[in-house]
Amino acid sequence: MKRLRLVRRNNESWLVKVAVPILSILLAILVGWIFLVLSGYDAAETYRRMIQGAFGSPYAISETIVKAIPLALTGLAVSVAFRMKLWNIGAEGQLYMGAFAAAGVVMFLGDWPSWLLLSVMLAAGFAAGAIWGLIPGALRAFWNVNETITTLLLNYVAIFWVSYLVFGPWKDPNAMGFPLAPRFPQAAYLPVIPGSRVHIGILVAVAVAVLLYIVMKYTRWGYEVRVTGESPEAARYAGMNVVRNILLVMLVSGGIAGMTGMIEVSGITHRLQQDISASYGYTGIIIAWLARLNPFTVLLVAFLFGALLVGGFGVQTYGIPYAIVLMLQGAVLFFLLAGDIMLKYRLTITRED
Amino acid sequence: MKRVPVVEMIGINKWFPGVKANKNINFRVYPGEIHALLGENGAGKSTLMSILAGLYRPDSGTVKVKGQPLRLRSPRLALQAGIGMIHQHFRLVNNMTVAENVMLGAKGRVRIRTEEIEKRVRDLSEQFGLAVDPHAKVSHLSLGEQQRVEILKMLYRGCDTLILDEPTTVLTPQEVKDLFKTLRLMADQGKAVVLITHKLSEVMEIADYVTVLRRGEVVGSDHIHNLDEQTLTRMMVAREVIFPEFNRSHQLGPTVLAVSDLSVPNDRGRTAVRRANLELHEGEILAIAGVAGNGQRELVEALAGLRPVSAGSIRLQGKEISHLPIRERSEMGLTFIPEDRMGMGLVPNISVVENAMLRVYRYPENRRGLLLDYRTLEAYTYSLVDRYQIAVADIYHPVNYLSGGNLQKLLLGRELDLDPTVLVAAYPVRGLDVAATQAVYDLLLEQRQKGTAIMLVLEDLDDVFRIADRVAVMYNGEIKAVLNVSETDIDSIGALMLGVQ
Amino acid sequence: MKWRKLGVLLLVLAFAATMVVGCGGSQDTSAPDQTEKEFKVGFIYIGAPGDAGWTYAHDEGRKYLEQQIPGVKTVTLENVPEGADAERSIEQLVQEGCQVVVANSFGYGDPMLEVAKRYPDVTFLHCSGLQTAENVSTYFGRMYQPRYLSGMVAGAMTKNGKIGYAAAYPIPEVIRGINAFTLGVKAVNPDATVKVVWSNTWVDPTLEKQAAQSLIDAGCDVLAQHADTPAVQQAAEDAGIYSIGYNSDMRKFAPNANLTSPVWNWGPYYVRVIQSVIDGTWKSEAYWGGMADGIVDLAPISDKVPTEIVDQVQAKKQEIIQGEWDVFFGPIKAQDGTVKVPEGQALTDEEMLSMDWFVYGVEGTIE
Repeated sequence: MKRLRLVRRNNESWLVKVAVPILSILLAILVGWIFLVLSGYDAAETYRRMIQGAFGSPYAISETIVKAIPLALTGLAVSVAFRMKLWNIGAEGQLYMGAFAAAGVVMFLGDWPSWLLLSVMLAAGFAAGAIWGLIPGALRAFWNVNETITTLLLNYVAIFWVSYLVFGPWKDPNAMGFPLAPRFPQAAYLPVIPGSRVHIGILVAVAVAVLLYIVMKYTRWGYEVRVTGESPEAARYAGMNVVRNILLVMLVSGGIAGMTGMIEVSGITHRLQQDISASYGYTGIIIAWLARLNPFTVLLVAFLFGALLVGGFGVQTYGIPYAIVLMLQGAVLFFLLAGDIMLKYRLTITRED
Repeated sequence: MKRVPVVEMIGINKWFPGVKANKNINFRVYPGEIHALLGENGAGKSTLMSILAGLYRPDSGTVKVKGQPLRLRSPRLALQAGIGMIHQHFRLVNNMTVAENVMLGAKGRVRIRTEEIEKRVRDLSEQFGLAVDPHAKVSHLSLGEQQRVEILKMLYRGCDTLILDEPTTVLTPQEVKDLFKTLRLMADQGKAVVLITHKLSEVMEIADYVTVLRRGEVVGSDHIHNLDEQTLTRMMVAREVIFPEFNRSHQLGPTVLAVSDLSVPNDRGRTAVRRANLELHEGEILAIAGVAGNGQRELVEALAGLRPVSAGSIRLQGKEISHLPIRERSEMGLTFIPEDRMGMGLVPNISVVENAMLRVYRYPENRRGLLLDYRTLEAYTYSLVDRYQIAVADIYHPVNYLSGGNLQKLLLGRELDLDPTVLVAAYPVRGLDVAATQAVYDLLLEQRQKGTAIMLVLEDLDDVFRIADRVAVMYNGEIKAVLNVSETDIDSIGALMLGVQ
Repeated sequence: MKWRKLGVLLLVLAFAATMVVGCGGSQDTSAPDQTEKEFKVGFIYIGAPGDAGWTYAHDEGRKYLEQQIPGVKTVTLENVPEGADAERSIEQLVQEGCQVVVANSFGYGDPMLEVAKRYPDVTFLHCSGLQTAENVSTYFGRMYQPRYLSGMVAGAMTKNGKIGYAAAYPIPEVIRGINAFTLGVKAVNPDATVKVVWSNTWVDPTLEKQAAQSLIDAGCDVLAQHADTPAVQQAAEDAGIYSIGYNSDMRKFAPNANLTSPVWNWGPYYVRVIQSVIDGTWKSEAYWGGMADGIVDLAPISDKVPTEIVDQVQAKKQEIIQGEWDVFFGPIKAQDGTVKVPEGQALTDEEMLSMDWFVYGVEGTIE
């Protein structure tokens, strides 16, 4: 009898690391190609338009970046927690709380000078997200409550809280009863590259990535986080303060997600409303995972993800229904994740008699 | 009339990576017999029985069941052949009832008649004296009752050979008595029982026949009437290897670590160390001997600060430390080499440098501003690698690539480099080959020479004679005796370890 | 070894595939430019035409437009979220050469105005919007008129006087519909009440069905809806009770339950506006058309409804079309029974557009 088994790889060569994701994407395109042809669409043109829509013009690239900014930031946010094997599924909710706090600052300090207002908004966004991360963090640190569930549930609380505000107390009186908070004054808009929607959030994302890289790699705290993530027993053995580190990690993770919320309302929607996030908090998890928690790789993967989403969405005007777009995007994701498993494991055939 | 063995194992060999667990073993069990399989930890008892129960496959050798050669490729096939094994960890579904657990996985019709099964369960428990309520949920049962459910499961499936792996470790004395009654009833009704154990008293009490394993080999097999405790002890632990003597001093240095009336609970909250008293002196190596599971692990973990104590005191150079956190103890010069080398002592998946710095990363000299100074840390790592002769291809590769010996040298070197006052190590040579073992011992002796007080938990009595100045023997959570190694012999220690008075 | 060979094979295949992408692409790039003469209209949809409701009705209008004006070519982007993706989607349609961009949800307002600023030569139409600009029109229909008529049908057909209304969000458009419907109910059946449940979603068949089920459990024997899918109709069909549809004629989803549906009929409006853009006569406006324009209507009434009721409804419809009467003419009582609109007065458009109160006979709260 022969059996297929997955065996963990001991080492991954540089070539394999690069080749597998590329092969995965090509395979996904191949499958999508066959599917498109069978469904009677011009596959070549579809993919050409997809690439065009993501990279084909300065505008397309700028929009890909716009999409990539929140994906990168939430990816970075969760990667901090994942480093310590804290499964923060709550970036979505932390993002909403950050957006809420930033909008709150605008409501009360809207007449401040722009630079000051934006700084306070960013700080408030970070603080609100951090608190939203600290709640499950404290439950985990002190009472060992599973953070996967608490962070997930707090997402709903945050989303409903924002809905409540825009339907109720914070509803714009000029919106004729529609669920929108008032538009921000110009001072609360993030500066943009003229002629595009690319806002200064891109610098925040890059700065956060650099900072995280340095903190994780070169500080005592980052070292403790990595040791705790790899082996909590070793951390205890070395006398590290695991409770304090859980709290700090959830604070930073939630804070970064909260800043993402501030950046989205201040840079894109310019008001608090429902649907600020297109599931960025969840997509960030996939991005962090594919990037192996490396901050710079997160930036790259987020950019490619942005391209996939932006480019994919646009091919609708070529007559491709949205459902097929989702299928094409799903194929890429599926093969990337499958490829990731193949990177960590290898298939072997064992013989049994 | 010639009796046919219900199970016969002939010429069984089994290798695990680096270890030969079973060497050419012959083993026979007859119906109506309680057969004790006796040996120290790691002697190969469980491996042999796992082969019989279909969990492992032998590398060579034959298994015959009722005279027929069979290939027991899975536990299911073994069960079909009438062989059932009850493991130390029970395999029950907690939120199901006893009856449901019993019928789970048993062959039968698609439609299940609950009353029928319950009746059968009740009959079986009466027949073998296994008091347990078929309606009770498993999660509500004591460990002893759960064990009865496991036995019922096997009986329900028609097992005529029942293997029990160290069944008494989880039981209270009363439960042990009940279990032995059940086993005797089973034997009387023609079933064969194999009892894996390292407890001599149990063997004397219940077994009809004994097979003793040592280091994967059968060293003796005989009817209980032809054996006594002395002989069995000798079979289990006796060795004929002579080690080079080292210069033992009989002059004890000043006391560095004093343990008095220390009690420590195990993970389940039961007392694992009971009112232990010990003194550790400068420049000596004190071995803790004992059969695994008699409290050694809990004792050293309590000393290291990894496990809370329930009573008593630990004094390091006169200062009470039993409630200090780990970090403060290590700052006071107490260091610990855990049993769990990779996972606690060392961190998997991160580099050699990052493992080497685990103790010193907080030191100001390893910092530049807010950041860790990898140049000095790197230099530090290289110095460890050089001094302790650790074979490393690249200090930035994950430690996972190192061999067991090199891992232990890295761990030991890292801890010894702190020049500790007290070094406590659990099983420092477990799993190491001869050369690596020697290297570790050389390092420890060297450190002893520098005046460090060293406490080692050892599993092999040979090692006690090879390296220790004194030996403390633990049995059932108590320190039975503390002896000068040069004034005792292997038989006396062995007897103490097995609780023989 | 076999695996490695397979890997190489796949690599080659995938490579070949990308080569074809490149080549295929270069052949096709010139295609859109050849048809400069055609007039391109882009549609931004909140849902998908498959929803059988709101977006479906718009898409029917789009098809009608293509039929009626032969030179017009349309492109669509469906499932466009109202957040960050909206502006890019509108921009994309403009960049692909659309001279008119139509967006079918309220939340597209901000991004549409944003894009409109950059492209003064392009015409933008924003359905259910509030803010117009030089090149941005808003348009909507007086759906409350057919809703009133459907309320009459429901009021006549209920046996126990309990009518359920599964509604999306407590916003003026929806509240107005509930009020109009209730007034219609009360006109034929003064004792009947309308129980409102919010599903808090526009497009989610599961939630909509849950909302419907809760109304059925509360004893309602006729259900109406203000959401985009036919889930409520199917729930009524399963429960063996009557229902009133919305958006498009939902008879086919619940042949036994469905009595009628207030429907959108966007086609004629699109044809009229696009033609005026082509002719160069278009002017920005805030359009709010009623049954007289045909932009809203009542779908054919089921033959389960007695003819005298049908006649009564038809008569009322004529009154509305002729402009003799409208739904929010006084006297109208508020939920608590106090007179909100006295006899002889009527609500203004502004009052209707910002409606945040219920009429007498509605059970439920605006929360």
